[in-house]
Amino acid sequence: MPAAAAIHVLIVDDQLSMRAVIRSSLQQLGFREFREAADGEIGLREMITKPAHLVISDFNMPNLDGLGLLRAIRAHPPTQGAAFIMLTGRADRDLVQRAVQFGVNNYLVKPFTVAQLKEKLEGVFGPLT
Amino acid sequence: MMSAEALATERRIHVGQGEHHVTSDRSVMLTTILGSCVAMCLRDPDTGIGGMNHFLLPEGEGAGTDAGRRYGAYAMELLINDVLKAGARRERLEAKLFGGGRMFASLKDVGVANADFAERFLRDEGIPVVGGSLRGTGGRRLHYWPATGRALQRAVTDNHVPVSAPPPAAARDSGAVELF
Repeated sequence: MPAAAAIHVLIVDDQLSMRAVIRSSLQQLGFREFREAADGEIGLREMITKPAHLVISDFNMPNLDGLGLLRAIRAHPPTQGAAFIMLTGRADRDLVQRAVQFGVNNYLVKPFTVAQLKEKLEGVFGPLT
Repeated sequence: MMSAEALATERRIHVGQGEHHVTSDRSVMLTTILGSCVAMCLRDPDTGIGGMNHFLLPEGEGAGTDAGRRYGAYAMELLINDVLKAGARRERLEAKLFGGGRMFASLKDVGVANADFAERFLRDEGIPVVGGSLRGTGGRRLHYWPATGRALQRAVTDNHVPVSAPPPAAARDSGAVELF
């Protein structure tokens, strides 16, 4: 049973407000270690510099979108084991299928509740403490 | 002043609560009617691409909490993403905010919560607010032309607003608005 506080998270979203609500939701679930990136390109640089255990990334972003970030993370051996949860604006079947094909661990449709986020995280990590 | 020709070809599109609309069509005028809801009018002045949303933060359990912020940030993101997808550039975006009126003196002022959220959101995102009219009492009918950024608002005291609205008092105007 992993301790949420031990999981290092990288939050990737081009909106500061959305990064703040994701961070705050994770804090409510016991997470303590965060880094943030404003687009996929910055997120990838962050991951290469210091891999996180979990990436929570928006899909729609400038420079490199969530799918591009996921592909790059899976193609780079030091980061390819990271858990990846994709945030989408709607339940887009094509997007989810492509993300699954590229190795996404789970996805979450916005606007989400803390309970939904917890369910998706536990789907990846098992029950969190 | 609009020419007769422009008026004849003008297309009105109504944006209802929970909806948003983006256009690059110079003949489009977006309209909505606001009570305690807030509408963000957003545009890229270089391209004339822009749009409007119409949102209300959740009341009750979600009011003023993270749940409210999660929903509000999402409502704003939908409009921003679609404006960018249509060809606008984020660094050029400018916004006008309208609404957030107090509709019942005795109830919790949800209009102010919506207005506070919208202002904070735009401040956090670094998008300049170039005009608008927030808070005050009563409803507003809003017209917005994304191509030019022109906005008109009129106080609404009839039953077009989904709650009975008292006569409007002076709202805090921040300029760049024509009353009609």
